[in-house]
Parts: sequence; C-alpha cells; structure tokens
Amino acid sequence: SILPSGNIPPGVNPEAYQWFQTVDTDHSGFINPKELKQALVNSNYSAFNDETCLMMINMFDKTRTGRIDLFGFSALWDFIQRWRVLFQQHDRDCSGSISGMELQQALAQMGYNLSPQFSENLVRRYAMRGARPGIQLDRFIQVCTQLQSMTQVFRERDTGMTGNIRLSYEDFLSGAVTRLM
Amino acid sequence: MAYHSPYKAPPHINAPPDQGFLWNIFQRVDKDRSGVISDSELQQALSNGTWTPFNPVTVRSIISMFDRENKGGVNFNEFAGVWKYITDWQNIFRTYDRDNSGFIDKNELRQALTGFGYRLSDQFYGTLIEKFDRQRKGQVAFDDFIQCCIVLQRLTDVFRRYDTDQDGWIQVSYEQYLSMVFNIV
Repeated sequence: SILPSGNIPPGVNPEAYQWFQTVDTDHSGFINPKELKQALVNSNYSAFNDETCLMMINMFDKTRTGRIDLFGFSALWDFIQRWRVLFQQHDRDCSGSISGMELQQALAQMGYNLSPQFSENLVRRYAMRGARPGIQLDRFIQVCTQLQSMTQVFRERDTGMTGNIRLSYEDFLSGAVTRLM
Repeated sequence: MAYHSPYKAPPHINAPPDQGFLWNIFQRVDKDRSGVISDSELQQALSNGTWTPFNPVTVRSIISMFDRENKGGVNFNEFAGVWKYITDWQNIFRTYDRDNSGFIDKNELRQALTGFGYRLSDQFYGTLIEKFDRQRKGQVAFDDFIQCCIVLQRLTDVFRRYDTDQDGWIQVSYEQYLSMVFNIV
C-alpha cells in the first residue's frame, strides 16, 4: 500500500478509503477496471457491467493510465453514492431496478424534456434478459452520465437554441466518439 | 465531407473451417459444458497479442452480434459466425500491423479505415487513437481496433438512416439526436 493504514489523506472519503484497501488486491496503489468491477454491485448483487466500469475509470483517471488512484476512487465513490440515492428515490416499488416509467420521471426531475417513449426505448435496450423490463444501478449511472454529456454536445451545436441542429457526418462521429465513452 | 460505403463486415478472406475443427474449439472454449459460450469464456479464449486481457466491451459487442435469442452467449451454430468474424478481423489487422507488434498506429489505422471506404480527417484519426487506445500507448491493439470499427460502423449506419439525400449532412431534433447516439432509433 502507498499509505499507512489508518492515515486517511485529506479530502478522501473514509468509507472510500476502506474500500480502496480491500479492492486494490495487488496493492499497487491503483485500481484497474477488473478490480473496480469486483468492488461494485447492483441491488441484486450482480456485478457492475464492463461498459459502466470502463466509462467511470475514464472519467476519474486523471493520470490517463487506465486506472485510478485513491483520490480518483474517492471522487468516484461520491459520484456513485449520489446516483445511488437518486436511483433509490425513483425505484418507487423498491424492485432494485428502474422501469421505463420510473426512468422517465427521474429524467423529468433532472430537467430533461424527453418523451416517455424515449425512456421506454432506453430501458428496453439495456434491460437484462429474462428479468422484467428495467435497468439496474450500473446502467442507470451509465445512461444518465451519457445523457448529460450528449446533451452538452447538442447544446454546443444548437447555438440558436432552436432545438434542432444541422450536423455533418464527421461532426456526428466526433461528438459521439469523444463524449459517449 | 463526403462519406462512402464502409463494409458491413470484414472481407471474407478465410475459407470456412470444417465443422470438426470448429467443434473441437467450441468444446475447449465452453468450459462449463453448457452448450453456450458466455462473455467470460470467450474473453479467456481470445488473445489480443499483447498479454493483456481481451477488451470485455469488444467481447460483449461480438457476442451480441451473433446471439440471436439474447441468451447472453453463443451456441455452436452461432459460434461458427463468431469464429469467422474474429479470424477475418485478425487477417485485416495483420495486414496493417506490419511490424507484428500487436498494435497499429495512426497511419496504419487510417490505411485500414480508408480501405473500408471511410473518408475522415487527420484530426478525427487522432480522436480515434485517443479513444480506443485502451493501453495508453498511442497505438491501438487488436481488440480495441475491432471495437473502434464496430462503433464507427454503428454510427455510420444510424447517420445514413437520417441522411436521406446522402449529402453527408443531417438535421435532427434533440430527442432524435439522443436516440441516434444511444442507438435506439
């Protein structure tokens, strides 16, 4: 370990610190996507999916080395907790998963003006097979984070605030590749 | 900028392998003998040539392409498609990875994608390298190369659906745009 145990650096969430020690199984001082995946679970105890883990590593990996240090992990921890609270708030039937209608309500509360059909389509795309249609916490985090980011891309191009944009092929590719992952 | 017609799939280079050969491979990869190869079974069986685990996101993309019943894996019949898909990509990758390093650089990526019919700016190739260089080497490994091509293909397909007059430009609303990038059109 890079730090003596019990000596939590300032700005680091103590709970995140404890988790970091447990999750950093090779004691490298860094958490890679595989270690992160082992650390995070949905309400039904399924592991977080790989896309969400990779997305979050990319968000909190300030060193661009494909892994995160204690400070990055602490920020990631707070990030997940905020989404977890929101998730639980909108999972009204406490099923551990969010339905299309529940997602629609969550997005409306966050200020998105999107049709119920959009939420239904999103949930159908990411729903687990066999289960009743709904998304777990990991997909919820992925979808909401990507919505924020892609809304930003749209806004940057919708300079006249008309709600419509004209977009070239490469600009379309570039916005999606740069911001979607 | 104009765009052309990238291939739907890599060109068919290999003759189809015989069933006995494939069955042997299938049985070795299907470790739990369930008759279905899962993401983790396929991931363990694949090599990106650089001693690092095969990109799990690429594995998911490939399996979902061939998994017809959405069962979370591929049966023997579907595996034949997976095998061919991966070996075809492997041959393409080897063509461009001239020094056999297991990585292709920006120029090689440009040559490969230009060969598929893409016409993209130098700046965009820089973006691609930055995004798909999972190992942070300034180059792209085999598994990440496949993922890059899958993503480009998917985005190009959805763009083309909106670009009805084929002029390389689209006009879309906010919700249409989000539906396009989330692939729920």
